[in-house]
Amino acid sequence: MSETYDFLFKFLVIGSAGTGKSCLLHQFIENKFKQDSNHTIGVEFGSRVVNVGGKTVKLQIWDTAGQERFRSVTRSYYRGAAGALLVYDITSRETYNALTNWLTDARTLASPNIVIILCGNKKDLDADREVTFLEASRFAQENELMFLETSALTGENVEEGFLKCARTILNKIDSGELDPERMGSGIQYGDASLRQLRQPRGSTAQNKQQCSC
Amino acid sequence: MDRSLFARRVKHSEPVEQRDPGWKLFGKVPPREGPTKDPRKIQKEYETKNGRAGPGNPTSPRQNVRKNLDFEPLSTTALILEDRPANLPAKPAEEAQKHRQQYEEMVAQAKKRELKEAQKKKKQLEDRCKLEESIGTAVQTWNQDILPNWSAMCTSRRVRDLWWQGIPPSVRGKVWSLAVGNDLNITHDLYHICLARAKEKWKTSATPASEPESEDAGSSDRESSLELIKLDISRTFPHLCIFQQGGPYHDVLHSILGAYTCYRPDVGYVQGMSFIAAVLVLNLDTADAFIAFSNLLNKPCQMAFFRVDHSLMLTYFSAFEVFFEENLPKLFAHFKKNNLTPDIYLIDWIFTLYSKSLPLDLACRVWDVFCRDGEEFLFRTGLGLLRLYQDVLTCMDFIHMAQFLTRLPDLVPAEQLFQHIAAVHMTSRNRKWTQVLQALQKDPDRGSPVLKR
Repeated sequence: MSETYDFLFKFLVIGSAGTGKSCLLHQFIENKFKQDSNHTIGVEFGSRVVNVGGKTVKLQIWDTAGQERFRSVTRSYYRGAAGALLVYDITSRETYNALTNWLTDARTLASPNIVIILCGNKKDLDADREVTFLEASRFAQENELMFLETSALTGENVEEGFLKCARTILNKIDSGELDPERMGSGIQYGDASLRQLRQPRGSTAQNKQQCSC
Repeated sequence: MDRSLFARRVKHSEPVEQRDPGWKLFGKVPPREGPTKDPRKIQKEYETKNGRAGPGNPTSPRQNVRKNLDFEPLSTTALILEDRPANLPAKPAEEAQKHRQQYEEMVAQAKKRELKEAQKKKKQLEDRCKLEESIGTAVQTWNQDILPNWSAMCTSRRVRDLWWQGIPPSVRGKVWSLAVGNDLNITHDLYHICLARAKEKWKTSATPASEPESEDAGSSDRESSLELIKLDISRTFPHLCIFQQGGPYHDVLHSILGAYTCYRPDVGYVQGMSFIAAVLVLNLDTADAFIAFSNLLNKPCQMAFFRVDHSLMLTYFSAFEVFFEENLPKLFAHFKKNNLTPDIYLIDWIFTLYSKSLPLDLACRVWDVFCRDGEEFLFRTGLGLLRLYQDVLTCMDFIHMAQFLTRLPDLVPAEQLFQHIAAVHMTSRNRKWTQVLQALQKDPDRGSPVLKR
């Protein structure tokens, strides 16, 4: 349990039922496809420490139930999420059409700066495709989302999806666009960064005080 | 109904390895006897050659009945080099003596180990026989004494005690049906009418599916029934391989869920239902399973959850927290500190009545008492689980607790869990579960503030 990391990010996995949210998470955590998959009731969890741009980041992932009916429940889990994977199934237009609703929920209920990556899952089922890459990437662009087509079965782009999202958040922290210390940012400092940060932080604060004197 | 779904896996005996010339088996077995010899036979031969039949040789009384459960003395089937190959000079006497001694020691130790192992196996077998016997007598009691006099006996002390110990699988369905009752007065005919209507709907919706769908509302309606039922059935107890497309119970499960959406269109299909229906299907005939399913879902707690009445669900969670704090104050504080709210684990537990989170045979035992005691027992079971794992949980942080509780260990010890459930007090300041719940319903502001938005 004594993992050291620089940051902890809260991530959501959201999207309609049967799009493969839990399988994406399982592939990301276990590096294999989950054959005997149950449907998620409520919420399930996963966590993994990743290395992004020289920083260790612990991802705390909330994998939510997909059925429309559960939305009133799952909504309460959005608060304070730093990133989200918004998942649809490229072989089901219905799941693609529902994206707008999911997106509105995420933007209004999670932190306003939430970084969202759109994942068109089941890329391996190209023969049954109902949503083209072009169409989805246009949607992503219009809504300022990152976009990838993924396959929880083969593992293609799964890790990339999570890492890309984490990297963007880190960049935003670096550029000052995101403030980890703001309440509900979905970001926490880990032990490792606290040790590194405290020293210079403290001294700059002191310097400032001295200046103002 | 005797479905051997949970029959224990029997270990296959491993074949004896091939032997090289010059190598001998322990007990001076002539090397020509063939390479795949039953290890048990070898053991016997070894013992007769040594002039002793083995002190605790576990020839259990039921050996013939359950051969495969007996122990297999694999350790004596190992190979040992006794003499050097002919093209090398022979061992000096001293060395040979030493080797013989070492060999004896090894054999002695192996024997000891086996004996222990055999005693353990024997005990397991005895326990199993005892358990089967007690189930046998229980079946008789249920069938001959209790079920014929149900209304008179179901509240008696003796029956309640027997009930707590778990209903034998062969009468389980009957007892559940009786205990859940049929307040809704659903008949087999009504089930068939609902099913026919559902089939009609499937047919009509199957034809225009090729047309492009409009983006507007109504999609949630569709989602809430047909497509999702199909999708979820294949994701219900997938490891049992009986509900999936082509499996023996696929159509039955489909029918019950479909009929329910026609019987209660206002509720429709909600995820979690497929697990409940599946457990019922395993214990009851289709129409009776439907009757039990509909009546079960009609109970106040289940209605609150399956209609996703969020505020009422929060009231249930708050009531749970009252008893949580009362029973496990330390763990309660630890959860509070880590912002772990009960909804995170209770939603899955309550929606599926533990059938997804506990091993199926244990979940059925929870259902047994749930049928006896009502909704209160679901929350009591939750507290029992927290109590059982209190020590592990206290050492965890938020994410580990959340992961642990949303995916419980594969082997939850049944007896221990029930001991912990029994130790949970369902009174808080002299108030019972229903009283606490009612008070919270009247005064919802006292609910868990974390869950309120």
